[in-house]
Amino acid sequence: MYTATAESDSRLIERVAAGDRDAFTELYRRFARPVLSMALRHLGDKGRAEDAAQETFAAVWRSARSYRSDRGTGSAWLYAVARHAIIDRARQRRDHVAELPDEAASDRGPDERAEDSWLAWRVHSALEELPERERVVVELAYWSGLSQAEIASYLDVPLGTVKTRTRTGLARLAGLLEEVEA
Amino acid sequence: VNEHELDDVLGDDVPDEELARLRRVDALLRSVPAAPAEVPSSLNQAVDRIGRARPFWSPRRLAVGVALAAAVAALAFGVGRWSESGREYRAAVEMAVEEAPADASAVLKLGSRDESTGNWQIELDVSGLPHLPAGDYYVLWLARDGEYAAECGTFNVGPGLTRVEMNASYRLDDYDAWVISRHAENAPWLFSARIS
Repeated sequence: MYTATAESDSRLIERVAAGDRDAFTELYRRFARPVLSMALRHLGDKGRAEDAAQETFAAVWRSARSYRSDRGTGSAWLYAVARHAIIDRARQRRDHVAELPDEAASDRGPDERAEDSWLAWRVHSALEELPERERVVVELAYWSGLSQAEIASYLDVPLGTVKTRTRTGLARLAGLLEEVEA
Repeated sequence: VNEHELDDVLGDDVPDEELARLRRVDALLRSVPAAPAEVPSSLNQAVDRIGRARPFWSPRRLAVGVALAAAVAALAFGVGRWSESGREYRAAVEMAVEEAPADASAVLKLGSRDESTGNWQIELDVSGLPHLPAGDYYVLWLARDGEYAAECGTFNVGPGLTRVEMNASYRLDDYDAWVISRHAENAPWLFSARIS
């Protein structure tokens, strides 16, 4: 099983609470894409999504002291901060946001949509923890529509390398997602 | 990754428990939409400014301070111009922030006029604007009655303070404002300064 050696999200938030800029930068590196992804899905506009993401990290900087590691994971706390920022941004346009809507699952109920949103957050956050070479291959494999052979050609690496990186990436993701659940 | 490819990727030597674990991840990945390919540089720059305490002598304050001190000295001694780093200046103005980020600044210094060519020397100190991608740039121009009237030069910015030197051969009496905007039709004014 893959064991994360990087500093935990919780520890990074605690360091941010003490005014540590390096910890803030690392937290941003880990969560920028998950935050932006969630904002894009729910606001449907790049500019507003970017504003919501910026507000999320401004709120992280301001409010990190309110985080209590005994009440939940760092990732879950960040998810809640991002969610509030996105809802605020949506309300500024007087959009009705009882729950964050998800265009991809508009026929699902509020509880299911919230679960979808949290699931996507966990997967995207875990992907950010993969080594770059594995993350790129996994993302191409699942979201580009390219076959393994086409990915090998696109990245100009042997097909065997693509398969190895995909498999290793999946195994690493499994470990990371189990850590979140733990 | 289709089912056939997944079997090929995982191989046939994986223990059942590990196989089930990898298939769960495979199913998760299939169930969520893609994240954006990359984070926009404008967001990176905006977030980079969060929490950074601005020293009292920021590039903006320093530039304005030096220029104003020189202007005051020039007036005090009745010279009407001053020298700084080997260059001679006649006026300095901190441009008003229009649609630029709130903590951005632009200080325009007007140098001497070359009598043989009619060119004014212009020096612009800019900070807080995002760096633009290749092919895109900012423009310093002169406005009359709120409309574009003449271009003085183009530039891009880097991190921190960017100093740009330009020349313009216009009669400034013919215009009523300096303006900085992005190079695009109907781009909003980022900074402006009245010509008095």
